[in-house]
Amino acid sequence: MSTDPTIKDFEAAIAELESIVKKLEEGDLPLEKSLELYERGVQLSRFCHSRLEEAERRIEVLNERGQLTTSQTLKVDGDK
Amino acid sequence: MTSLFDLPFEEPGPEAGPEPPAPRRVLTVTDLNARIRALLEHQFIEVWVEGELSNCKLWNTGHMYFTLKDSAAQIRGVMFRSALRTLRFKPQDGLRVVARGRISVYDPKGEYQLVCEHLEPEGLGALQLAFEQLKQRLQAAGLFDPRRKRPLPALPRKIGIVTSLDGAAVRDIIQVLRRRHPNAHIVIRPARVQGDGAALDIARGLAAIGRVPGVDVVIVGRGGGSIEDLWAFNEEVVARAIAGCPVPTISAVGHETDVTIADFVADVRAPTPSAAAEMVVARKDDFCAHIDRLTHRVQSAMTSCLHRGESRLRSLEARSMAIRTQVAVRQRTYQSLWRALETFDLRRRLGRIRARLVAVDARLAGASARSRHRADGRLRASAARLEALSPLAVLGRGYAVCWNADRTAVIRDAAQASKGDRVRVTLGRGELDCHVDRSHD
Repeated sequence: MSTDPTIKDFEAAIAELESIVKKLEEGDLPLEKSLELYERGVQLSRFCHSRLEEAERRIEVLNERGQLTTSQTLKVDGDK
Repeated sequence: MTSLFDLPFEEPGPEAGPEPPAPRRVLTVTDLNARIRALLEHQFIEVWVEGELSNCKLWNTGHMYFTLKDSAAQIRGVMFRSALRTLRFKPQDGLRVVARGRISVYDPKGEYQLVCEHLEPEGLGALQLAFEQLKQRLQAAGLFDPRRKRPLPALPRKIGIVTSLDGAAVRDIIQVLRRRHPNAHIVIRPARVQGDGAALDIARGLAAIGRVPGVDVVIVGRGGGSIEDLWAFNEEVVARAIAGCPVPTISAVGHETDVTIADFVADVRAPTPSAAAEMVVARKDDFCAHIDRLTHRVQSAMTSCLHRGESRLRSLEARSMAIRTQVAVRQRTYQSLWRALETFDLRRRLGRIRARLVAVDARLAGASARSRHRADGRLRASAARLEALSPLAVLGRGYAVCWNADRTAVIRDAAQASKGDRVRVTLGRGELDCHVDRSHD
């Protein structure tokens, strides 16, 4: 997965992206600052998309001993 | 002295008629109580009795002692630990109940009591009562406080599920998750969801799944069933496990109309397992669309920002062009002015300087002539005075000066010169080298 230390998680990324949109749309920023926000916005957008794609399409079963095993049967059923 | 109490325990039957009294039988208290016990315990093997509970006391042994009463009478009762454990509600004072049990006599005290095997609340069913009681207790403990409710993560990393692997719920949940968010990573902790030990199993499952790294939301539930089937989700141990789960929890028990204690404690209540799956993750497409909308807005905001910048730049450029032209014009004017000024000014300044120079020169010449004239006079006077004082002038009058030979000292005394010395004598004009023949005092 993409690990960007400046982005906490998906929620934080969306929230920051929303705030960037707001700031940019208010529009009374110096050009430099706008460019900076724009670049950050693009970065966040990429992060969100990658997070949406990255989760593993997997089903695991946690047994009583705390062990995780990948379930084959459920996967097949679930994919039907 | 016959009273009711003196009658023999076994009364003669009504058909007995007026016969001579039977011979008097005296019983010991022990015998009597034993006979009473035999009678009562035989007669009241299973009775159902309704009344109001009071003086409920739970002993350390786990047995509960109580009094069952109505408006006119009361009876003591006991419920042993084994029977008490099967109750889902908590017997408490004031509760109207129907009790099933037998009568037992305690010989040493001559007391009888109801040994209660089962209790059910009157009106409400036992389960309903248990539900209300637990609900009140947990509410008082603050477990339903809205401030405890945690928001679900927008995009869970791993979705935990605690339910039975055999039920419909797990399949419903997986199906919905697959449809909405094909990449979803699911971790299932199988648990019995009905029958003995189900509540404990669910509670353990919640504790275990909350510790799996990456699991950031948990669905706990099962498909529909009777109130008894769903009962595990009304147990305190499950409620406490949900409250103690380190990640947000969604309860999904039965159908829309089924409400369990778990629903009150969970961070979010889903009406059904499928609904829980829908709540736990928005459609991937919706996410993408939202992010794309935001990204698009960022871009168009940036574009308009650049446009604004550009037009400002252009207007500044236009203004600066105009200013530059003005500056050029002014510069030319200035230069010509300056040149004119320069020539004009220099000539005048030179003229002035020259005039001043001439004037100064004249004054200087005058001053120096005057001072030379004054000096001349003074010199002449000084020379006259010098002349008068000069020894030469005396010499002119016939005096002479006598020096030693090398003309370093004037000889003023004859003793200064001896016979044979040479002396020099300065006269009014010229000098003489002389030889001393003799000196006279």
